[in-house]
Amino acid sequence: MEKARISAFQLFILIVLFELGSAMIVPLAIEAKQGAWLAILIGAAGGCGIFLIYYALFRYYPDESPVHFVRHIIGSVPGKIVAFLYILYFLYLSARVVRDFGEMLITIAYVETPLFVLNLLMVLLAVYTIRKGIEVLARTGELLFIVLAFLFLSAFLLIAAGGTLDYGNLKPVMGEGLAPIVKTAFTQTIYFPFGEIFAFMMIMPYVTDPKKVKRTGLLAITASGFVLASIMAANTGVLGVELVNRSLFPLLATIQSIELADFLERLDVYFMLAAIIGGFVKITLFLYVSVAAAADLFKVKKPSQLAYPLGVVVLLLSIMIAGSLPEHIQEGIKLVPLYLHLPFQVILPALVLLVAFVRHKGRGKEGEAK
Amino acid sequence: MKRKWILFSTMMISMAFLSGCWSKKELSELALISAVGIDRDEDGNYMKAIQIINPGNVSSGLQGGGGGQAPGVTVITAEGKSIVDVHINASAEISRQLYHPHANLIVIGEDLAREQPLNTLLDSFDRNAEFRNTAQLVIAKKSPAADLIKVLSPVEKLPSEKIYKTLDVTEKMRGENITVSLQDFIKTSASPGIEPVLSSFTLEGDVKEGKKQENIQQSQPETIVKADGLAIFKEDKLVDFYSGNMARGVVWILDRVKQTDVLLDWKKNKDAITYSVIRQSTSVSADTSKDLPEITVNVKAEGMIRETEAPVKLDDPNVIHELEKTAEKEIKEQLERTVKQTQNKKTDIFGFGQTVYRKDADKWKKLRNNWNDDYFPNLKVKVNVDAFIRRTGLRTAPNLSEIKEKYE
Repeated sequence: MEKARISAFQLFILIVLFELGSAMIVPLAIEAKQGAWLAILIGAAGGCGIFLIYYALFRYYPDESPVHFVRHIIGSVPGKIVAFLYILYFLYLSARVVRDFGEMLITIAYVETPLFVLNLLMVLLAVYTIRKGIEVLARTGELLFIVLAFLFLSAFLLIAAGGTLDYGNLKPVMGEGLAPIVKTAFTQTIYFPFGEIFAFMMIMPYVTDPKKVKRTGLLAITASGFVLASIMAANTGVLGVELVNRSLFPLLATIQSIELADFLERLDVYFMLAAIIGGFVKITLFLYVSVAAAADLFKVKKPSQLAYPLGVVVLLLSIMIAGSLPEHIQEGIKLVPLYLHLPFQVILPALVLLVAFVRHKGRGKEGEAK
Repeated sequence: MKRKWILFSTMMISMAFLSGCWSKKELSELALISAVGIDRDEDGNYMKAIQIINPGNVSSGLQGGGGGQAPGVTVITAEGKSIVDVHINASAEISRQLYHPHANLIVIGEDLAREQPLNTLLDSFDRNAEFRNTAQLVIAKKSPAADLIKVLSPVEKLPSEKIYKTLDVTEKMRGENITVSLQDFIKTSASPGIEPVLSSFTLEGDVKEGKKQENIQQSQPETIVKADGLAIFKEDKLVDFYSGNMARGVVWILDRVKQTDVLLDWKKNKDAITYSVIRQSTSVSADTSKDLPEITVNVKAEGMIRETEAPVKLDDPNVIHELEKTAEKEIKEQLERTVKQTQNKKTDIFGFGQTVYRKDADKWKKLRNNWNDDYFPNLKVKVNVDAFIRRTGLRTAPNLSEIKEKYE
């Protein structure tokens, strides 16, 4: 672990940017149709629940990296294996986000540019930031957060003023009953994007005031839940469920629908700025977490030395993981939540917490006996 | 420190040279498309007419001369098996790369719209990130789409602009047309319980004359393009055209009327009083308690008297009240006629099904399969109109002899 300190407020900003990251550009929870926003809110509530598991673990070892304390809890060798698996998991997620954003840029703007070039630029930027450390990323986040907040507020204002919003499109909210909404929340939104906050297990020990971590985390998840829900509600209100369902990037279409006063139109740049900010933070954080964890696990003295090699891994992985965009997206919807997110975000942490709980309880009793 | 500054300034300078070289497009290498028209020939190939802006000829006339000698646009046509195929074939005719982002009008020929589901034609536009999804979609009534965009127009230098703006103005003034963008159309045709409508334009005169610059060098152009009511769709295909009060009835029930005129009968004088609606709001609600839903259309209109041809004492509140009743009856009859005739056409352009779906999704599940053919035509539709006359212009009673005699 590097010797760095970030404030609780910076943690809040990083979590919000991270959660919005790629979730705001995709048709999140559209399987729940008009109830997508509701599914997102339920997902956020679930995300808060998962966060409490992570927080409980953090409370046992507030100063240690998870790579270390997992070895205390389940033993040295199994702990190392688990930590290694998590490094692979984060590298894969980082590569997925790189691919998401490379594909987005090609689809909407740089049709003739090869994917490799776009991904390379993004990974280079992430690697550079990581070499500068988490403090720099946190401060960059503060700046970007202001930009993003301005973008969101003005975009919502423009959408509301432009008259393209039709609340009727949001009805009926529960046309098929509550079941599809709850199902979407539990098979998708809890894990993506909210459960991905697991990456912050590596960041939490840096926070100057550990007491504030719980409140900050819950607040950040709730806030990003509300922002994502209102984005999906705006998408549905402007485009209608059918069009959102067919769109790769519904937020882009929503922004493009704004036509105000004969000159405020084609505001694609709004979408690009917001997407790139979110994407940058998410890619960098995932890569940072894998670099920091790998440095801890393999006892590399200077974690920043690992930034380039792992950056290359992410770059190549981002090209290799899928042959086409539909393949990439289907993997993300069908395979990743069930086979990766569920075990890595919920089952493993819950098991580790259980073991930690039993051990500490036992130790507590011993203490009393003495 | 000095080295740092040198490095920094080198980096800043090199940025100017490094940016924007990949797939760059110079303005002088682009042909800006302003409108496209799509038809089909006898062999079943698509024919696309592409209206391209001649930048030199549309520059402002302030400098005098220059602009105005040649038309502001050039139209090229090409054929192909698919819409994109046509587009690529068209590059054989033009020295520059065709550039979409400025296109704000798509015209579809009547014949093509009757034969082929419209969404199959629009897919390439919808899919293309370069194309504006806010471009307007219109139907060329009784003529090929290509002719419509070839005709040069007075006042506006770009024919596409002329159609675009005409639509906008007549929607606001007359309420017999509505602006429907590419995205609106796709959205509506995909939504359950509603069928889309589009505005239609017709050509008056001969297209051969209309293409020439001489057409607009006279005070009354031989050939003009004008807005002409609505094109009605059923299951993605054009089935009929509405014009006049029928078209306005549709626009009215869709709550898209901004201003319009209603002609009222007074005593024995037919269409004697012109009631101008300044603002209105219409809401549609559904009662889903019975087997077949019942629809209620509530209209609230507010306006003024703008013209009278009959002796009527407009300073008398009782007369105004009576006129309000007449207006309510007239609007109600018009809307009911529109609904009745549309029910005979078996296509739910009013979105009554959508209202049912939004109110009661379970009910809609039972009805949706044969909505247009079995349920929509048999719906009981009630129209309630509340009309208000707020003022009568600068004068009270008209200057007509019958009234004068009475005063004396």
